[in-house]
Amino acid sequence: MSESTATATQRSTGDRGRPAAAAPRRSWVRPLLLALVLVVLLALPLYIEEFWLRTGFAVCVAIVGAIGLNLLVGTTGQLSLAQGFFLAVGATTYVFVSGESGGIGLADLSGLGWPPLVGMIAGVLAAGLAGLLFSPIAARLRGIYLGVASLGLVFIGQHVLNSWTSVTGGFNGRSAPEFSLFGFTFGNRDPELYVLAVPFREAERLWYLGLVLALGAYLFARNLLRSRPGRALQTLRDSEVAASVMGVNVQGYKARVFLVSSMYAGLAGVMFALSVGSIAPESFGLEVSILYLAMIVLGGLGSVGGAVLGAVFVTALPLIFQRYADVVPLVGGPGESGLAAGEAARYLFGLAIILVVLFEPAGLAGLAGRFRRKGRGSGGGRLTRRSSAVTSSSTTSVPSDRPAQGSTT
Amino acid sequence: MRDAEERTRSDVPAVEVENVSVRFGAIKALSEVSFTVEPGAIHAIIGPNGAGKSTMFNVLSGVYKAAEGQVRFGDARLDQMRPFQIAGIGVARAFQNIALSSTQSVAENLMLGRHHLTKAGFISAGLRLPRATREGRIHGERVAEIAEFLELGDKLHTPVGVLSYGDQKRVEVARALCTEPRLLLLDEPVAGMNAEETARMGEAIHEIRSALGISVVLVEHDMGMVMSLADRVTVLDFGRRIADGTPAEVQAHPEVIRAYLGSGEEINPAEAAVHHPTETPGTHS
Amino acid sequence: MTQFLSLLLNGISLGAIYALIALGFVIIFKASEVVSFTHGSLLLLGAYTIARLSDPLGFYLAALVGVAITALAAFVVERLIINRLRGAPVISLAIVTIGVDIILLTELIRRIGSDILNVPHPWGGGSFRIGDVGISMNRLIATIVAGVLIALFFVAFKYSSWGVSMRASAEDGETAALMGIRLGRVSALAWAVAGALAGVAALFLVGSPTPGVSPSAYTVALRAFPAAILGGLDSTGGALVGGLLIGLAESFAAGYQEQLLFLGRGFGDVVPYIVMIIVLLVRPSGLFGTKELTRV
Repeated sequence: MSESTATATQRSTGDRGRPAAAAPRRSWVRPLLLALVLVVLLALPLYIEEFWLRTGFAVCVAIVGAIGLNLLVGTTGQLSLAQGFFLAVGATTYVFVSGESGGIGLADLSGLGWPPLVGMIAGVLAAGLAGLLFSPIAARLRGIYLGVASLGLVFIGQHVLNSWTSVTGGFNGRSAPEFSLFGFTFGNRDPELYVLAVPFREAERLWYLGLVLALGAYLFARNLLRSRPGRALQTLRDSEVAASVMGVNVQGYKARVFLVSSMYAGLAGVMFALSVGSIAPESFGLEVSILYLAMIVLGGLGSVGGAVLGAVFVTALPLIFQRYADVVPLVGGPGESGLAAGEAARYLFGLAIILVVLFEPAGLAGLAGRFRRKGRGSGGGRLTRRSSAVTSSSTTSVPSDRPAQGSTT
Repeated sequence: MRDAEERTRSDVPAVEVENVSVRFGAIKALSEVSFTVEPGAIHAIIGPNGAGKSTMFNVLSGVYKAAEGQVRFGDARLDQMRPFQIAGIGVARAFQNIALSSTQSVAENLMLGRHHLTKAGFISAGLRLPRATREGRIHGERVAEIAEFLELGDKLHTPVGVLSYGDQKRVEVARALCTEPRLLLLDEPVAGMNAEETARMGEAIHEIRSALGISVVLVEHDMGMVMSLADRVTVLDFGRRIADGTPAEVQAHPEVIRAYLGSGEEINPAEAAVHHPTETPGTHS
Repeated sequence: MTQFLSLLLNGISLGAIYALIALGFVIIFKASEVVSFTHGSLLLLGAYTIARLSDPLGFYLAALVGVAITALAAFVVERLIINRLRGAPVISLAIVTIGVDIILLTELIRRIGSDILNVPHPWGGGSFRIGDVGISMNRLIATIVAGVLIALFFVAFKYSSWGVSMRASAEDGETAALMGIRLGRVSALAWAVAGALAGVAALFLVGSPTPGVSPSAYTVALRAFPAAILGGLDSTGGALVGGLLIGLAESFAAGYQEQLLFLGRGFGDVVPYIVMIIVLLVRPSGLFGTKELTRV
């Protein structure tokens, strides 16, 4: 024993001893698979029809928003229902900054008419600013109080959208300017584009824009989680006290993650405006906040990949139901008997949320992880890599976050 | 109990706890408790259940606010600082109930200890800027060293939740060490451990003090360990200090004996030292 | 002046209704540490049931059944779902109540469709006047009933064994369990009571001056959330104060709308949330909520 202590002494005084245990071996299968997926995604617009391309862009919108919300709710454990609000700020800012003044009919709209890229950036920054203004409150509230307080933001936001008609178009909303990047429009013309004899119109062009933005959003979040801020945030979720004692400025981090999350939502808001082509107050209500919450819960709280999966599932499902209403049981098309597509999807989401929380808190990401492990044969620890909301485990730390009722030791 | 070649780091001051009281509503958890931890000492706080030991730790870490009294660590007033600030000046804590992130690996948990020593923010981390990755790598190497020291080197990439309880407690201590502390607070580091694990932890603690020259404050129930390891012992009962001195002095103190026997505890500190001889061969008596 | 007094009375009556709902939240929070986001749809369920059953059963029986069904629904939610998640993080519990809310709300909206169902209150839409100051009969009775119920509740909370059990389990669940208190039972009963309170609130909320049962009742019910929060989520007294505060604020904001047009039409609907945010700025735990003893 004394021998190892002697060498330990040596090491702790700065000697580089044995190198650290090797990181797990990385196989080449995964990067190859990812590259393949990427190639497919890039080539898809050449083959699939507009409906799917537009669905794809809508999915990208959701991916960006979901990743941002997941950072706040999943990774840091701060429940927020304000997603709709920040989407609105982003979308409205874009429409205002890049839209033209003037009116159609009764509405008298104002707009700055600046390049859409500026509008997009402004949208993100404005949402960030809104997040910054609210973040002192967010930082001081306990997780669950924040949930209710954020409800307030959604309703206040909708009220402003309805009232500030010159900017937002009021109840009827206003149309969103086409996006363009240094002269290249993401619309049907300007320039006319043919790739391999396939006409590249708005849907095709937006598809690529969505891919780039969603990919960027994903990479940024993933980098974040694997590094210093990510570790701090995850500890915040498990125990604010432990994090604080380890040197994390809890309130500072809570404020900052709220800011980042709101900026993601701002970007998603801009993309939403492009996706739908217009904005209206009813798109930014409590329902959309809950939809995003469903995405990250179903995908698995705390997992960036899970947020992506959840976003795909929640966004695509109602659209698929609608399109294939005659084939899907129980669902009827508009005017027919049976559930409307939107309703059916909502039932499903509500049920799925309950089931996920009860039985598989790691959500779709957890299921995917299980299949991967089954495919490879057992190997590795028994612990599923749960990005868990329900951590039974040994992180019941003391001192607890509840007020102490007298000391225990 | 100090080895000949030990030295205390020159920047480790004494910890002066003066007249600290803590109230929860009508309950007084600590009443005018005072003691001093000498630089580089291993100082134990013992007492029956409910005595206020963890409350004291919470005051030292800044988690509870003292209603009265002061805690000084050199120039700093710990009783007026927030927990993350206290961590910033080199006070580290290993929790009694493990406060680790079970889903993350040992290395990731340990890296949290480096938080106040590193600077990568949201932007540099999210964009994976070179300075962030470089910082991560440098500190990652130091973390690996510390893990080696506590015999966790081969478990660096294991999720903490899979480890044995004893190993998890070692990770707790390792994480506290990763903050490069001047003062280490260990809250029941061998609770729930068997004899062998206890012995290894005791050795490690002794090793930490002699190698790093820092002060260690220990809350413990294992009397054998306390008596063999500690330079000085403070005894609390019902939130008051009832004794403070060397292990030998405290063992024989009538108040202490009464506190343990009176509260129904089987362990008589005087007997414990006789029946549980030090299980750390080759160190000291 | 008469307008002021009328608005005051209206605000108090509205506040009493909000207080009923908010009290339900607080009871649930104290008993199971859950913020129940199901309350909006529970309230709508109550309103819908009463409306649908009024024809066949007559008003009073329908009201009774409606309240009972709401209480039962809440009870079922607790037994089937919340009970299985004991010990889970608060956020998971909150999310699961959102899931239940989604299902319930979708179903109710589907059934209500675009109809506005009427609840035939026997006291009709008349008003009660003292001089020039008036208040709708419905609201007056609401205030009285709410007052009685709240008073009953506080007495029960303080003296009945259920009340003591609940306070004990809210204070320290583990010890309470060790002392023989059946946490599950306390929790289930708490949800049932909260459901019943929501049912009663629903009964009055859909009477004059609001027109019948429509999905907007859900949005109105949501305004009780700020009431509970700003009073302090674990304070029953706070729910009362919060409810009254919100009711008054909403009443005055709606009443003086013309003078406040620059803030947008319908400002009264968002005033509860603004008041809540302002209070939280100053007191992050609500006016009477327990302040955290730990500092981070």
